[in-house]
Parts: sequence; C-alpha cells; structure tokens
Amino acid sequence: MQTTTILMRRRIACLFFGAIAVFFLLLLRLAYLQFAMGSELQLKAEQLRMREVPIAAKRGTIYDRNLRKLAISISADSVYALPPEVNYSGKAEEIARTLAPILEIPEEKLLEKITAPRSFEWIKRKVDFEKAQKIRQLDLPGIKVVEESQRFYPKDTLAAHVLGFAGIDNQGLEGIEITRDADLKGVPGNIVVEYDAKGRELPQAVHKYNPPVDGYSLVLTIDETIQYFAERELDKIMSGPSKPKGATIIIMQPKTGEILALANRPGYDSNNYGQFDPQTWRNSAVSNTYEPGSTFKIITTAAALEEGVVTPDDRFYDPGYYEVGGHRIKCWRSYNPHGSQTFREVMQNSCNPGFVEVGLNMENKEKGVFYKYIRAFGFGTKTGIDLPGEAVGIMINEKDLKTINIATISIGQGIAVTPIQLITAVSAVANGGTLMEPQIVREVIDSDNNVVKSFKPKAIRRVISEETAEIERDLLESVVSQGTGRNAYIPGYRVGGKTGTAQKAGPGGYQQGKYVASFIGMAPINDPEIVALVIIDEPQGYPYQGGQVAAPVFKAVVEDTLRYLGIVSQYTYEEEKNQGIKVEPKLISVPEVVNLSPEEAVKVLKVEGLKAEVKGEGKVVTSQTPAGMAKVETGTKVILNLGEADQSLIPGTVTVPDLTGKRIREVAELLSAMGLKLNPDGHGKVVRQEPIPGTKVQAGQEVKVFFTEEEETAETLGP
Amino acid sequence: MLQTRLLKNIDWVFIGILVVIMAMSLFVLRSASANIFQDPYYFVKKQLLWIVIGFGLMFFVASFDYIHLKKLSKYIYAANIALLLAVFVFGHETKGAQRWISLGFFDLQPSELAKIAIIVSFAVLLSKRQGELEKFWDIIPSLIFVGIPMLLILKQPDLGTSLVFVAIMLGMLWVGGANPRVLLMMLAIVLVLVLFIFGLLYFATDGFQKPPEDLPLPLPLKPYQLLRLVIFINPNMDPLGAGYHVIQSQVAIGSGGIWGKGYLQGSQVQYNFLPEHHTDFIFSTVGEELGFLGGSSILVLYFLLFWRMVKIAKEARDMLGTLIVVGVTSMLVFQFFVNVGMTMGIMPVTGIPLPLLTYGGSGLLSNMIAMGFVLSVNLRKQSLLF
Repeated sequence: MQTTTILMRRRIACLFFGAIAVFFLLLLRLAYLQFAMGSELQLKAEQLRMREVPIAAKRGTIYDRNLRKLAISISADSVYALPPEVNYSGKAEEIARTLAPILEIPEEKLLEKITAPRSFEWIKRKVDFEKAQKIRQLDLPGIKVVEESQRFYPKDTLAAHVLGFAGIDNQGLEGIEITRDADLKGVPGNIVVEYDAKGRELPQAVHKYNPPVDGYSLVLTIDETIQYFAERELDKIMSGPSKPKGATIIIMQPKTGEILALANRPGYDSNNYGQFDPQTWRNSAVSNTYEPGSTFKIITTAAALEEGVVTPDDRFYDPGYYEVGGHRIKCWRSYNPHGSQTFREVMQNSCNPGFVEVGLNMENKEKGVFYKYIRAFGFGTKTGIDLPGEAVGIMINEKDLKTINIATISIGQGIAVTPIQLITAVSAVANGGTLMEPQIVREVIDSDNNVVKSFKPKAIRRVISEETAEIERDLLESVVSQGTGRNAYIPGYRVGGKTGTAQKAGPGGYQQGKYVASFIGMAPINDPEIVALVIIDEPQGYPYQGGQVAAPVFKAVVEDTLRYLGIVSQYTYEEEKNQGIKVEPKLISVPEVVNLSPEEAVKVLKVEGLKAEVKGEGKVVTSQTPAGMAKVETGTKVILNLGEADQSLIPGTVTVPDLTGKRIREVAELLSAMGLKLNPDGHGKVVRQEPIPGTKVQAGQEVKVFFTEEEETAETLGP
Repeated sequence: MLQTRLLKNIDWVFIGILVVIMAMSLFVLRSASANIFQDPYYFVKKQLLWIVIGFGLMFFVASFDYIHLKKLSKYIYAANIALLLAVFVFGHETKGAQRWISLGFFDLQPSELAKIAIIVSFAVLLSKRQGELEKFWDIIPSLIFVGIPMLLILKQPDLGTSLVFVAIMLGMLWVGGANPRVLLMMLAIVLVLVLFIFGLLYFATDGFQKPPEDLPLPLPLKPYQLLRLVIFINPNMDPLGAGYHVIQSQVAIGSGGIWGKGYLQGSQVQYNFLPEHHTDFIFSTVGEELGFLGGSSILVLYFLLFWRMVKIAKEARDMLGTLIVVGVTSMLVFQFFVNVGMTMGIMPVTGIPLPLLTYGGSGLLSNMIAMGFVLSVNLRKQSLLF
C-alpha cells in the first residue's frame, strides 16, 4: 500500500503556506478597506442613498452708491418631478396629460421628463404663481413645487454692462454678477431624503431640511443718476446723425478711483439677456482695446513734463510733418501747418509733430524712459477692476521698439489700450499724480446691512509729481478754453481735457473712413472731482473728430453731473475772458467796498472778476480806485487804501453794488460776500434792484432783486 | 457499510467547522435576502433544505471507500465529458452563457460536477504515474486530460470555472510529485499570457480609460470578459455600468468599519445598491453589516477549514487519498481567494461564487459531494497502530 512520502508531505505543507498567504492577503485588504478607507467609503455610501432636493439661496441685492436697487431677487415657483415616485404611482401618462396644458409643454416631452431615469428632474423653472398654485393643489404623485428666487433688474437696461446677469440657477454669468458671484450667491439649502437604489423614497427615511443662506448684497460705486446721464447721452448719440457703431462712457472719481458711471452701446436688457446678440453683452469699456490717438498725448506730456524735457513755454516749429527714419508723420492740419508755437499751443492744437519731437527728446535723454512712464500709468497691465473680461492692451515689445514706434506712440498710435486703462491713467493727472485702482464695488453687506467687506480706495503708485500734474491740468484747461476741445466747455466751470481722433487699424493698415472719436476730460480743473471719457466708435460721415463728436457728449454728461453732485460753479468772468471764449469782454460796475474789511473787500472784488491791490495799513477800506459804480472791464485792478474807520460812517455800513445783468448765482455770491440778504423775484438776469446801487445800508439788510428772461438786452453790455 | 471502526477516525473539528460555516451562511442569507421577497425567510428555508441534503450527500459519499474510484474513474470521466457536451444541446441560456441543464425540479450545472469528476479521475491518473512526472513530456497527458473538459467549459463560456481547473491541476501536479521546474514553466506561461492580455488591453483602451473595442489582435475572450479585466484595473471607467459592482462592493465593505452597520442595517445591501449581495457578493454583505469583526471571522473559518483539509491530506492512507483531498483543497482555496478578492477589488469579476457560503443549490451540493470525498479519505486514514 502506498503511503504519503516525505516529499509529498513537504509539498502539502507548501500548499498550506499558499493558503496562509491567501488568508493574510485577504485579511490585509479587508483591514485596509475598513480602516484606512473606511470613513471615505462610509461617506460615499451615505451619498449614494441620500437624494437632495435643492433649495436655492436668495441672491443678494446690488445697490448703487446711494442704496438704490439695481438688481434684486424675487421669488418664483419651479416645478420638479421625482420620476421614481411617478413611476411607482403607475399614473405617469395621466399626470403628463394633466400637466401639459397648465405648463404648456407637449405631453410626450412631459412624459419623457417625469419618467426620466433620474431621481430628480426639473419640469419647468420659474413659472407663474397661478400655475404653480394650481399644480400645488392638484397634488400629483411625484410632482412637486419649490420656491426659488429669480433675478430681476428693475431698471432693465441701465448699467447692464456693470451688472451683467445671472442665469436660471441664479449663477452669475456676466458683469459684477459673475466677478462677485461668491458674495452674491449664498449657500443653497436642500431637503435630504433617503432613497434606495431604485429611487424609492424609504418609508421611515431620513428627512432633513437644510435652510439656504442668503447671499450678501453689494454696494457699487456707481451712481444711478450719473449712470442715467451717461446712458441718456449714449442713446442720443447712437440715434443721432453720426450713427456710430458703438460708444462708451466712463466717469471716475479721480481721487478715489471709484467709477460713478460705466456704460456702452450697443447695450442689452439684463432681464432678457437671451434675446440679445451675445455680442451686445461685451463690456467694451474694459474688454476692448483701441488706439487712443491724441488722448494719449496726455500721457506723453505728463512724462515729458516730469522728466523736464519740455515746459509749456518752449517753442516748437511745425512744418506740417515730422520726419523719423524716413517716415513722415503728418500733422492732422498738414494742409495749413501750425508753424511756430509754444508747447501750450502745441497742446491746444493737438499738433502731432510737436508731440513726436517731445517723445523723441525724452527717448534721447534716456532710452526707455517713455515706456517706463507708460507702464507706470498702468498700460500693459490689467487695472484690476472687478469686472470680467478685462483686456491687457497691446504694447510693442520693448526689445523690438524702434524710433518710429516711439514717435507714433507719442501721438497715441502704435499702442492699444482699454478705455478703463486710459481713464485710470488720466485720473492720476487729475488727482495730483497718483495712479488709483479703479473701483466698482464699495461694500459687501449682509441682509441686515452689516458691512461684511469694505473696499477702500487703493493707490497703486505715484506716477508724476503734484507740480507736473498741476502744469498739465493747466495745459488741458487751455485745450478746452482755446484749443481743439472747445466744444467741451461748460459755462461756469473750469474744464480741461483732450480730444482724440484715431483712424482704426484693420487688416492691411489703417482703414479709410473708420475712426474712433474720443474725448477725455476733467472738472473742475483746479481740483478735479470727476474725470470722464467718451469714446465714439466709427461715427458715420462728417464730422468724425473727437472735438466735434465726442466733446459735446462729454459736455452734456459732465455738466449735469457737476450740477447733480452740487459742485459749486466757478463763474469767474475773468477766467472766461482770459480764455477768450463764449463770454465777450464786458464792462461791469465796480462795487463800492469802502468801509469793508480788506478781506471782505478782496472777496467781493473777486466775485465780480476784479483784481485787488491793497495799500497802506488799517482795519477798513477808506477809499478805492476806481471808485464804486465806475464801469470797467473784468480783470481790472482795483486799488484799496486802508486806514482807520471813517467816523462819519456807522461800523458795518456797506454800499449796495450794481447787480444789473447778473444771474442769480452771481448775485447770491456777491451779496453774501457783502453781508446782505437776497430776496429774488423772477428768473433770468437782473433788471432792477431795491435799494438802488450805491445806497449805503447796514449789513444784514435785505436787497430785493428783480430778474427777467430778456437775455439779449442784458448781453449787449460789451463793446 | 460504514463501520464503527471508521467512525473513530472522523475529524469532528472538520465537521464542526463545516457546520459553523453553514450556520453562518444561513444567518447572513437571512439579511442578504431580506429585501427580495415578501417572505424574508424564503431563501433561508430553501438553503436550509440544500444544506440538509448536502450533509446527507456528504456522509453518503464518505461511506464509499474511495479506492473504488480506481475502477470507476474511466466512466466518471466519460460521463463528465458527455454531460458537458449535453449542455450545448439541452442547456438553456442565462445571462449570455449556456451553463444549465433543466431537470424539472432542479437546474443542474454540469460545470460544478465536472470539477469533482476531474479531481477524482485526475487523482487516479496521477497516483498511477507517481514518480513519472519529471520531464515536460510527462505532463502532456495530464494537460490533455484536464484540458478537454476545461475547454468545453471555456466554450460555454465560463472563464471563471475553467480557471478553477487550472488551479486544481497545478495543485495536484505539485503534490503528485511533478518536477517543480516544469510547473514553474507552466506558471510562467500563464503569467506571460495574463500580462500579454493586459498589455494588449492597455493599448486598446488608452490606458484602461475606455471599453475595449478594437483589439490589435483577436483574443479568445468575449467582449464582456475583456471589459471586466479593464474594470478590474480602473473601475471608475464606467462607474454606473461595468464598474458598478466593484465600486458598490468596496463601498459596502469599506463603510462597514470595525463593527459593521449592524445586522439587517447595511444600506448598500438593504437598499439594493449592491446587486447579487446574496450570491456572488455575499462577502460584501458580511463586510458591511458585520464589519471587520464579521469579515475576518469568515476568513478565519475558511482558514481553519483549509488547515483541517491539509491535515486530512497528510494523514491519507495512500497517494490517491492525498491527491483527492489536495484537489478539493486547491479548488476551494482558489475559489475562496478569487471570490473574496473580487468583492474587495483585488481580483477581477469572474462570477465564481464563495464556496459553501453563497446561496445556490447546485454549487452547495457539488461542494458537499467534494467534502464527502474528503471525509471518505479522512475516515480511511492510515491507522498507525492496527
């Protein structure tokens, strides 16, 4: 009889070791799955059987800077199906037949939806309240209604490019809605229901209600009223004779970088964004790059002044062109060259050869210095504005930069910028030399109006000195008072700015008859409160120049804005006369300032547009030359002799000035400077006053002033 | 027939382990089938009946002296081949494979019986050729002997069961005294073949990222089999389709933790996230509801069973007895490893049930017949003192 041999025993033992190996391998794997992976897989198992019915969070409101609502969320009902429950009821067809007419969805399509192989299916989002109510009452198996919120823009098209829009799931899709989506959207809640693998709700299942957390609200820097002014003017220009392809206006507070208005045309209605060509959603103000043309000369000038290569009184000669490396850069008025002129006049005339010379002089002084300033002004980098799709602009690589490029960039050609870059850079000139980050959101607030996040003005860097900025502003003012920017002049305010007319580049060079007309300006020029940029894209026909097309738009918007902001007019006849525009030299009646303190006297004269020279010492004016009531030109110097008070006059006695031909604002300022009260009657210009001019009255006395609309007669004071 | 003298030899530990495994199978089955029919005990009752019949069969088989197999082996082998061929004629198809012959009251799965038939007839063949398995050529007859039924089963197609044949053959050849070098060579061939298939799949599926569609070479495997191999490497390729099983099973086991979710409390099982949880994936049910404690207990039970069987093999009266027990052990260890490995993602899905624990009459009865042969060897072990 055979028995097992030693060899066999050893081999059986071997086999057993194999079994042991298998045992340990499986044990290890078991331990790995249950210990190392345990919590992860546990979570997965839970997710598998928990189904969520989402409850959308209420999206936050978007306010303008004065807490006027620009975007709000209203509640809307949505209908959804739980297909497993529908199937379980066995009445899918019946349900589809009932719902089809209510929701206006074809029956077959509806049936497909309510029996979809999913645990949850939207049937129709955001339906009318009555329909939703009807469906609620029907209480069909597996068909439920949930309250969702829907975005609503009460002002329709207003500020559409700033606001953007939110989609059906309340997700931000464009504009501030997308950049601040995280703040606005909140946290969606849900109802969690436990299901089995076939999607049947379990009888004793867990039902958990997680309430949604509402989104935060935004307070923008935008001022609804100023935004309205801008859009009103945009609509006007778009439907006007020049029929441009598009237009953009940005208004900025230079001291803070806050954007008060930002608008483009063509525009769209945020409530019905789907019905508009997606091209209209494009926010040209931040996404478009264009050659700025002459408006860029502001940057050239700032750099040159700061570097000391030019002063306003340096003389230039314009033969109608400037030759650089074989290229002739023509002046826009090459048919009638400007000839010999100061730099101030170069600026006023927007004379290309002058700027090319300045640009090249700068480059000759120190290579790369012009580019350094261009970059310092923020070109070639995104401004960081909180809006989507910002472009960087196009700058020629510094290594490839040739003299001809420097020459053309000096006049704003051969560089492409975004509107927001340009206004941000020019704001630095307006605010005294500091580049600010453009800001569109002021605060993030919660539903109880507590501030969650607050955005402070952010200075990026100082680009030019205060002095340079002041000199340049003076130059810019002369552009408006005496140069190409005349049409931007706003009576009563000191305005500065620069026109731009750039031929559009296209495939194969600059395109005939396609221009970008623009104007960028600021007011009041001595301490600018606002900077505004107007860009008109491809105005048709003639005129197409910035000074003709864009400057009047600037004037209209800025004039209303200044008034709205309550910025006091600087109605100085002297300045108006010096600027030689609008107001002809006119004779005025010198006010009697005898018996006033020197300070008061100077103030009164200044209001009237007269200069004062104080002589002698004393507490009051004892005499004046010319005497009161004399007719002189504005700007005439009045000599005031001081001495001790005349004993024959009661202290505080003043002489009523001649108010004839003045407007109410001026009258009010003059009388208040003299300590007299105003009692106006009618409107227009002053025709009569009581007491009559020259009457000595006690300070505090009331002066009755009669105004009338007959302007022409009052205007004929000049020679 | 069964003499009391023989009963003294009986390995009560072996019997005890079997009983515990069976009890365990009923206990787990109660939970695993709770959500299938109205009567939560429907499957338990049916399985209990099979178990009773199974034990009866085991003792019945054990009562015969396995020495008679020497004469019967030819007929067993021939009957087996005939039965396997009959599947192609009379068999009916389920899930794309012809594996069953309906006998009215009972669906016979000839491939299950074939395993036992091959074990016993191959044991007879090997015991005669003891010491003649030195060269490669000596192995050839064995290869043909096992290869014929194996190919028939592969044709059904049932890749899993045919692989069991490979395991049985290798285990028995090893203990039967075959030259280790020859066996190593065979193992190497199998390994190269496997690597070749996976390599081919790698290129055909962009690194297991999509279902295998255009293979550069035609393989004798069905598309779904190839898909399972791809899923084995990357279950997330198709988490809701082919990879669903594998992922759900691991989620079930992993989420069980140390103590498990509690009897009848496993969400993966009770809510049907895990299909086949009372058959091929019964181990996942244990893992989820009874945790590491339950899972490792099952592993230990099987380990003890194998230990007793190895002991019986060693104490066998003769070469034939040893080889029969080794064959059965090889079969069980392989199936155990592939099944449990599959539920935990370290083996591909092959449709091999967990022997003795999985619900199903055909599988249980054939396994109990195999246990009957083991017991038969045990009862007639070498009596040292008589």
